[in-house]
Amino acid sequence: MQYVLILPEILLAGLGLVLLGMDLFAKSKRSLAVAGVIGTLATLVAVLANFGVAPAEIWSGTIRVDDFAQYFKVIFLVILGLVFLFSHEYLEKRDVRMGEFYILVTFATLGAFLMVSSLELITIYLGLELMTIASYILAGMLRQDARSSEASIKFFLMGALTSGVILYGLSLLLGLSGSTHLVAIAEALATSPNTALITAAGVFIIAGLGFKIAAVPFHMWAPDTYEGAPTPVSAFLITASEAAGFAVLLRILLVGLAPALAQWKMVLAVIAFVTMTFGNVTAIVQTRTKRMLAYSAIAQAGYILVGVAVATPQSVTAMLFYMLAYAFMTVGAFAVVIMLSNHIPSEEIEDFKGLAQRAPGYALAMTLLLLSLIGIPPTGGFFGKLALYRSAVEGGMVWLALAMVINSAISVPYYFNVIRNMYLAEEAPAMELSARTGLKLALGIAVAATLLLGVFPEPLVGFLRTIQVMP
Amino acid sequence: MTVEILQGYLILSGILFAIGAAGLLLRRSPLVMLMCVEIMLNAANLAFIAFARYWGDMTGQIFTFLVVTVAAAEVAIGLAIIVLLFRHRDAADVDDVNALRG
Repeated sequence: MQYVLILPEILLAGLGLVLLGMDLFAKSKRSLAVAGVIGTLATLVAVLANFGVAPAEIWSGTIRVDDFAQYFKVIFLVILGLVFLFSHEYLEKRDVRMGEFYILVTFATLGAFLMVSSLELITIYLGLELMTIASYILAGMLRQDARSSEASIKFFLMGALTSGVILYGLSLLLGLSGSTHLVAIAEALATSPNTALITAAGVFIIAGLGFKIAAVPFHMWAPDTYEGAPTPVSAFLITASEAAGFAVLLRILLVGLAPALAQWKMVLAVIAFVTMTFGNVTAIVQTRTKRMLAYSAIAQAGYILVGVAVATPQSVTAMLFYMLAYAFMTVGAFAVVIMLSNHIPSEEIEDFKGLAQRAPGYALAMTLLLLSLIGIPPTGGFFGKLALYRSAVEGGMVWLALAMVINSAISVPYYFNVIRNMYLAEEAPAMELSARTGLKLALGIAVAATLLLGVFPEPLVGFLRTIQVMP
Repeated sequence: MTVEILQGYLILSGILFAIGAAGLLLRRSPLVMLMCVEIMLNAANLAFIAFARYWGDMTGQIFTFLVVTVAAAEVAIGLAIIVLLFRHRDAADVDDVNALRG
């Protein structure tokens, strides 16, 4: 029974090992991508089969299987599957060691799995480290490119600082409660007289996880890392790594630090406000595509953080919905960026000029995904943002909801700049644009899911309402 | 272990953590920054062990063992990245690593 519950983790670890073996013998590295997609689908089936199972803790409470964890695993697998689909040509053109890329991205996802499927600090910490250590290498995989090494060293130094800060916060939680299980910690904190130490633990943990989700003022590594890293890695980090950070933030704040939650709501609301405003305002002046998307990711993290700050069941539901929609629209947009950079390596926003004439399908897909990122119907991004907005109003943070609306307006120019370049630019350099089947498939899935989440959100929202963060 | 002794250990661990954090923010050599990270992790380890002794529970000590292992992996990766960086330029200094900005 226990092994059925952690079958997804077993399958994913197995996939990583199979890829490791295949890398030694396979002549065509494309077979690794195919095996990766198959393994991801198998894991997805195992995760879906565990939905609705009564929450269970196994191995002395070190692993917890509940719908909250399963849902995040679905998000990670969606991202992993899309990365497997669209990376091949990019890696081939840039002479990246493909075997290592596929293996590391699989193990990074395994780390994210462990982060979300536990209420035990030790497991959360180990999952976090597995994910980030694999990510450091991934960010530096363009070994000929000095910018990629720079992205890697910046990510590494900030990431190491982050893990030190989080670890210190965790040690304080252990000290206050004598336990590393979040439920026991919450019980101990409720009666603990050491309010100063509880506050200190909260500061360390929120600051540490703030680095992970690239919230202002802990964001300085993010634009450089996302710009310098290989584009598929940027897509993975912006979506999967951020979602894992949010999942842990929710678990620790709403379960472990629940007795002290009230004092953090305002702090988190201010961080959310500053993060979205800074991200949007800075994104306007960017001329390089990946850097623009990096600042846009910071702004989007601010929107999602609204859900944590409001901290009601409605806001958590809205957050969960938005994170899935966000994964689809961001990874989809990156698929177009990758397609384009396979032909034009410069990665400037100018490169989008005349895309509508050369490749109308891609231009239309990109337009839809960008509209979703702005939050315009009928897309998943619109519905998710609306739900977040409504939860903020109902949760008594009207100013934050208002800030979200104003920020969505600020974000229009830079997203529209890309659309304008695609449709209105007169001269278009003649060039054949083509892509492999995998990338087309990934982009198709992302666009279809973004539209589906916008047109028929009800079934998913109905399901998400049943998800409990609290045990 | 009495509360007074625990406090002593916690103060020491706080000082170590502050030294590590300050070093990481002020020093510019990636190697020294890496060492500062180690000091921060060990500050947390000291706190874990002190708390484990205070509560008479082994969990904190187990956590420390795992942290030491993870830190070793982290250092291995960190050194590899620093070597990669030196190959691109003779940068002994993180201030020289500034191709990405804006």
